[in-house]
Amino acid sequence: MKIKVDLDACLQHGQCVIAAPEIFSFDDDGNLQWKAAPDEALRDDAEAAADACPEQAIIVE
Amino acid sequence: MPSDVQSNTSLPFLDVSDPAFSIRSQAVAKARDGSWCARTPYGLAVLRYDDVQKMLRHPKMRQGSYRWPSHNDVTGNFARWWENMLLSQEGNDHARLRRMANPAFSPKLITSLKPRFEELANRLIDDFAPRGECDFIAEFTEPYATGVICDLLGLPIEKWRDLADIAGDMGLALGVTFKQDLPRIEAATQRIFAYAEELVEHRRKEPSDDFIGTLVKANQDRSQLSDQELLDMIVLAIFGGIDTTRNQLGLAMVTFIEHPDQWALLGDNPDLARAAVEEVMRVRPTITWVTREATEAFTYNDLQIPQGTTVHLFSQSAGSDPAEFPNAEFDITAKRSPHFGFGGGTHHCLGHFIARGDMTEALKLLARRLKNPRFNGNAKWLPDSGNTGAVTLPIAFDQA
Ligand code: HEM
Ligand code: SF4
Repeated sequence: MKIKVDLDACLQHGQCVIAAPEIFSFDDDGNLQWKAAPDEALRDDAEAAADACPEQAIIVE
Repeated sequence: MPSDVQSNTSLPFLDVSDPAFSIRSQAVAKARDGSWCARTPYGLAVLRYDDVQKMLRHPKMRQGSYRWPSHNDVTGNFARWWENMLLSQEGNDHARLRRMANPAFSPKLITSLKPRFEELANRLIDDFAPRGECDFIAEFTEPYATGVICDLLGLPIEKWRDLADIAGDMGLALGVTFKQDLPRIEAATQRIFAYAEELVEHRRKEPSDDFIGTLVKANQDRSQLSDQELLDMIVLAIFGGIDTTRNQLGLAMVTFIEHPDQWALLGDNPDLARAAVEEVMRVRPTITWVTREATEAFTYNDLQIPQGTTVHLFSQSAGSDPAEFPNAEFDITAKRSPHFGFGGGTHHCLGHFIARGDMTEALKLLARRLKNPRFNGNAKWLPDSGNTGAVTLPIAFDQA
């Protein structure tokens, strides 16, 4: 599974961090970090994060 | 030396509690030109786009209206709900509740409702269009906003009046006469919970993948979403979805009446409806500010913000900030930075896919069917601050 975030669209709401904390997080400077190729077992979480993103900036492949 | 909020008399002062105060006034624009923030009778107002954006995501800020009932010395069922529902929660509890609610508000589920939005809008327009005039609030935005919630909940559309009245009575809790209105507010709270309980009971017997069915499924793991939290969430969807959408669509019509070429443009180009919703919410958001509270003391832009400071983030003045929008004139074809009409950060509106979807369909059909809309008598308004909008809006138009 591959995860892409369109950082031009991302507004740092952090809804992905709430929906899938094992994939998404903020670093100390408040920048979004994510696992680009997380384990397949996290697919449901990844889809939930993509759905929850208010800017629809997350693509799960 | 950073200076303290209260003692800093060099900061502009805005009396937001004066009923005559307008968040769109010259006074606010002038305050914004000179200062990123202003003092108000209850804490600080943040005026500029860039600072509203940062404050919405500031780690030392929490949502600020959770204390509203205790601030008014109110207890009871409404207060219990208010203090426990999603918007009043922070940290792990907020995240847990939001995770549980997310699937019911997912774009996929909402997209499936689109044909129903269209049907409802058309039916309401059919009823008044031949007359060439209507009260746009009583005859369109209120039944539409409430009808959408009926559809979402799986209630028959005939229930809309009852639901709108309940939401209206509960909404009195947000006003200055909260304490005097308490008996009405408590009665409405009881009725709304009775609806929620009935809906849940029905869906437990007849499971499905609709909105309530999806929440009921989340409630199967009671450690993640308790029975009470399930009901509280349904009540929040009803409470949070009706007046907001009603007011926002009314403000859309007002804005377009003031910009007739934009309405004609939309009528000819229905694909602009989605962008029109965003542009309306930038220039005339119904929620003109969201409230936050400092969880610890911190310094921001050289200003000391003590723990417990209430901070109002002015979405309205951010949306017309010349530093972000040099050409701020209403234009549904312009490429814009995002507005704050749905808030932002962890509390970003959970119902925005619904609201964006239903308002897009409504504007598309309205612009096609009602030509040259104009004011037709005296509108009645909520104060031009806080949660604003028209309560009655008589308009006339030419039927297409
Ligand atoms: C045009 C219509 C709407 C507007 C302008 C609007 C605006 C907002 C705003 C500004 C917030 C954030 C408040 C804050 O941060 O203090 C919010 C939160 C919320 N809204 Fe909406 N809303 C609308 C429609 C809806 C609808 C239709 C629903 C549900 C069916 C809904 C459900 C919610 C919920 C549950 C929250 C709380 C989210 C949280 O705390 O995590 N809203 N809304
Ligand atoms: S939810 Fe979307 S907009 Fe928010 S931080 Fe995650 S990717 Fe960015």
